[in-house]
Amino acid sequence: MMPDARANDIAIIGAGPAGMAAAVRLAKAGHRSTVFDMNATPGGQIYRQLSESQVSDAVMGKDYARGRELIEAFTQADIDYRPGSRVWWADNDASGTSLGVLEKGQAQQWHARQLILAGGAMERGWPFRGWQLPGVMNAGAAQILLKQGALVPATPPVLAGTGPLLYLLAWQYLRAGIPPSLILDTAPATRYGEVVRQSRRAWFARSYLLKGARMIGALKRAGVPIHQGITALEAHGDKAVESIGYRHRGQWKTHSTELLLTHFGVTPEPQLARSLGLTHHWHASQQSFVPERDDTLAVGANLWIAGDGGGIGGAINAEREGQLVALAVLDKIGGVDPVWQQEKHSLLKARRRDLDARSLLERLFRLPEAWLDDQPEETLVCRCESVSRGELDRAITQGGAGPNQLKAFTRCGMGPCQGRQCGESVTRLLARRLDWTPEAVGYYHIRPPVHSITLGELATKE
Amino acid sequence: MFQRLDASSTPVRHVQIWLDGTPHKVPETLTVAAAVLQLRGWQGYRRHVDGSPRAPLCMMGVCQECLITIDGRANRQGCLEPVAEGMRIERQGGGAHDA
Ligand SMILES: Cc1cc2nc3c(=O)[nH]c(=O)nc-3n(C[C@H](O)[C@H](O)[C@H](O)COP(=O)(O)OP(=O)(O)OC[C@H]3O[C@@H](n4cnc5c(N)ncnc54)[C@H](O)[C@@H]3O)c2cc1C
Ligand code: FES
Repeated sequence: MMPDARANDIAIIGAGPAGMAAAVRLAKAGHRSTVFDMNATPGGQIYRQLSESQVSDAVMGKDYARGRELIEAFTQADIDYRPGSRVWWADNDASGTSLGVLEKGQAQQWHARQLILAGGAMERGWPFRGWQLPGVMNAGAAQILLKQGALVPATPPVLAGTGPLLYLLAWQYLRAGIPPSLILDTAPATRYGEVVRQSRRAWFARSYLLKGARMIGALKRAGVPIHQGITALEAHGDKAVESIGYRHRGQWKTHSTELLLTHFGVTPEPQLARSLGLTHHWHASQQSFVPERDDTLAVGANLWIAGDGGGIGGAINAEREGQLVALAVLDKIGGVDPVWQQEKHSLLKARRRDLDARSLLERLFRLPEAWLDDQPEETLVCRCESVSRGELDRAITQGGAGPNQLKAFTRCGMGPCQGRQCGESVTRLLARRLDWTPEAVGYYHIRPPVHSITLGELATKE
Repeated sequence: MFQRLDASSTPVRHVQIWLDGTPHKVPETLTVAAAVLQLRGWQGYRRHVDGSPRAPLCMMGVCQECLITIDGRANRQGCLEPVAEGMRIERQGGGAHDA
């Protein structure tokens, strides 16, 4: 531990449902944790800006009520909450984890004996021709504008991709009075039937499935065209998007629009877990890498991961995992209390059932595996360094046999986003070309800083 | 362009910022990138090192497409910095990525 470091027995990175639930549960047992979060207000992705919400529930939907309760409990409990603070490096040893934190432009060093990573998920980078054009944005990003400042597109957008968030945003825009002009889903219509036939799982997943069906019904009644099973997507324009192209039932079609909002699912935010050298495995059903956790959600001796950062389970599951990890930390530092065992048992049971049901959603919104293969040469895979699918393929032909070699050959993944947007795609492309599993291909080596920090900021160290 | 929804929004305090030299009042809950998307849209947001036009993609600190000059410091992540009274924002439309 550095001599000038600040310390707390327990630190949590992330104030989303997982991090908040963990901190609240620890506070209830008399432990004051330190919670770092880069946003200005608590809530994480789903409950962003909910403490001063800008849009009524009539537009947003009823699911956010639970978040208000959680935020209230979090705000009232004895917690050292530090909004506006980014953790940009972490280093784990037997004594715990040292952290580099940038709080409102000031560099600090911290040390935590027990650390809970609750950094959540990000929208998956999913290359298609023209996705670097202004006027293409993630659907989740557009939803952030809605939550943050009640901002909606001035003209009806096109929503494309797949997954619950795509339909949720379309429905919220409909409620706000600006329905999308078109929805394009990569999932074929026949999937819904296949999924509902899995009756036991479908029963446990019924609330998700019914909610989705209600939203899609409302959109259809409002006359929003929904094309399911599209197999390709492109954005066209010179300085910004002017139109889009897509392939549906084997035919190319175009549609003019100035805003294309895409969503291709979410994937655990990898940087901190990767930079700590944690083991990851390819999750075939979630189609992404997830960190390896044991039954107590631990990833190391004094290290846990709760919530979507450990694999996508949704907000309610994230809350449960936060509580579970808090109980595991309590077991470790305070001795085992038999009363906790019952609490843990019911949380684990609910979690198992929920994750089992969620696997249906993963099937329903499964992304097309061959998408990248079908991309034209010029599609950018790495946006930061402008590396195209064609360049990557040439490097593979010349013997580039792993993500880190491709990085050295082409500079892919070396830009400011540090491979967050292209990492999975590069793994995917290599897996297809070499006929290996993504697990065997692996992922970029990630080293700190995991967030950009300037020399000036380092110099402001207290 | 993005615009503020009147119908269902709750009242919010505004702060004055300067965008490319022009003063504007914007809701204080916005980040810099959100304010620019409301005031100017995505066109002209930023020019990338390769010369291509770019604009915010993720709005949550992942993609680094929102880089912008804030109070004289170049390449700040606009989607992570809340607006503040008197803040001066300049878009990097001229390829100032390496500034
Ligand atoms: C853009 C977006 C919008 C979504 N909207 C919805 C929705 O409306 N409804 C829904 O059901 N699900 C939504 N989801 C899914 C949602 O992510 C999860 O269900 C839920 O929020 C997961 O909770 P969590 O606590 O695991 O992580 P999150 O809620 O993602 O919280 C993680 C927090 O950690 C912070 N963080 C991460 N890394 C660092 C770091 N290094 N330093 C400091 N802070 C850090 C993040 O800023 C964030 O506040 C959305 C996902 C995304 C990506
Ligand atoms: S818009 Fe992606 S990092 Fe700011």
